Amino acid sequence: MGRIIEEIYVWRLPVRFYHWINALSIVVLMVTGLYIASPVLNPPPGEAVWQHNFVMWRYVHYCIAFVFIGNFLYRLYYALLSDDEYAKFGGFRPWSPAWWGEPFKEQVASYLFLRKDEPNYVGHNPVAALAHFIFIFCGSTFMILTGLAMYGENRPGSFVETAFGWLLPIFGSSYNLHFAHHVMAWIFPLYVIVHLYAVFRHDVVDRTSVTSSIITGYKHKVEDEHSL
Amino acid sequence: MPTKQTFAEVFQSRGISRRDFLKFCSLTSVSLGLAPALLPKVIHAMETKPRTPVIWLHGLECTCCTESFIRSSHPVMADILFNMISLDYDDTLSAAAGHQLEDVRSKIMKEYNGKYILAVEGNIPLKDDGVYCMTGGNSFLNVVKEVAAGAAAVVAWGACASFGCVQNAHPNPTGAVPIDKVIKDKPIVKVPGCPPISEVMTGVITHFHTFGTLPELDRMGRPKAFYATRIHDKCYRRAFYDAGMFVRGFDEESTRKGWCLYKMGCKGPTTYNSCSKIQWNEGTSFPIGSGHPCIGCSEPGFWDKGPFYTRLADVSFLGTDTTADQIGMVAVGAAAAGAAAHAAVTAVKKKNDKETEK
Repeated sequence: MGRIIEEIYVWRLPVRFYHWINALSIVVLMVTGLYIASPVLNPPPGEAVWQHNFVMWRYVHYCIAFVFIGNFLYRLYYALLSDDEYAKFGGFRPWSPAWWGEPFKEQVASYLFLRKDEPNYVGHNPVAALAHFIFIFCGSTFMILTGLAMYGENRPGSFVETAFGWLLPIFGSSYNLHFAHHVMAWIFPLYVIVHLYAVFRHDVVDRTSVTSSIITGYKHKVEDEHSL
Repeated sequence: MPTKQTFAEVFQSRGISRRDFLKFCSLTSVSLGLAPALLPKVIHAMETKPRTPVIWLHGLECTCCTESFIRSSHPVMADILFNMISLDYDDTLSAAAGHQLEDVRSKIMKEYNGKYILAVEGNIPLKDDGVYCMTGGNSFLNVVKEVAAGAAAVVAWGACASFGCVQNAHPNPTGAVPIDKVIKDKPIVKVPGCPPISEVMTGVITHFHTFGTLPELDRMGRPKAFYATRIHDKCYRRAFYDAGMFVRGFDEESTRKGWCLYKMGCKGPTTYNSCSKIQWNEGTSFPIGSGHPCIGCSEPGFWDKGPFYTRLADVSFLGTDTTADQIGMVAVGAAAAGAAAHAAVTAVKKKNDKETEK
């Protein structure tokens, strides 16, 4: 097999931490969120006032939601203020037609089996960057804003309600807001499937050790050698 | 037209003692959420200010707001509030009819120009110049515009006038719109509900009479005093919700035990109203208290928000027969299948490439 010819430190510790905290919180938020929408467990025995079975699901959802928000903001902070070139989203310029040019087309063509060779990138390839922007950046922003607006409903007049309650009239009603939050949540499992597949596939096809890179931080360039 | 009496005079003429009058004033201040220091102001206003003239118009509606209003039920408040707002024009409740009544309306509009309250019940059909609602030989659209021109403020009674109700539910054949789509230059207070709670209705009028301004409104234009919290937040069944004790069918033991109606499609968690606090008909009960899930009648577009007995998670998505969760799961499954197919193609391609290399 191939020989490792270069080792590149791509994902620094803060980025790796962000990734795994994000992944875990998305899983917890999805599970608790679906449960809150339709609780299925059997009711506990005894008097209602002794129990907190259902409210615990909401409590976990809220706690992890704030972890998710903090983590998201931390990642933006790291992108803006660190000197980590691979974490800065510097190459992502969807507003410029040049960005949609050759590299993007090449990558799409490669995914559609229209090219023989696989373009290789140290960071994210243009298609991956676009997917991250749509699903992770826009998706998270949407879920965070709608989520905080609903959280504010629990405490009228509170800071969260004052700061995010303006979303209710935009969505029309609290009901619409709940429904939008519920529907949009599904983009995350969808994204996870595509993301995992793309990562495993790149690992197999390009042999850049992209899968382990999110644990170790290192990607590898491999030189092809004919088997002996 | 005789000079308007003050509230205190009305109370006196009806043989109600000053003591009861003061009780009423404190009750009103409490229900409006006012500080105790403001009580003298309320009393002063009730004693000195002439009654506020109200013109009450009925558009495309079912009159349930009026039915609720005439049942305003705090023992002393009951018929007194009804008299004291000086309801000078109301085509449903007036003894007079026809031209006589219409003359009264134009008289009030002239005499109290810029001072009267316009209360609108029902919404306004706009399609075909508003011919789908005619009152007194004129379209309701014209009548509302005409009366609103000289009004100090507009009160939108009920879900119809506030947000639109069954009339402007999909497909809205008459092009019915709530009042704020037609009247843009007047302060509007929305008192949604189908019908709104009578004490909420009388409370809004009392606030206007006392302070000469509309009560503090929330983002949706509803008085904060009554619409700041959801039914769910003050629901007496909340403990069952927190405990995870849900009614799963109306013929179950849990229904008799009065457990939470969340899974039966209760819209309490997304509905802003005072039902769970003030309740209805002298505080007798409210829908959830009678074992029925809230249908969210004070929320915008509640007719179009899925079935009344279905929780949000089971509501069909974008007019399809499937729910958002089913579609989500199918999408995730499709993504997985797509990934598998893509993987297979990748494998085949790689094998072919290797063979051609050789």
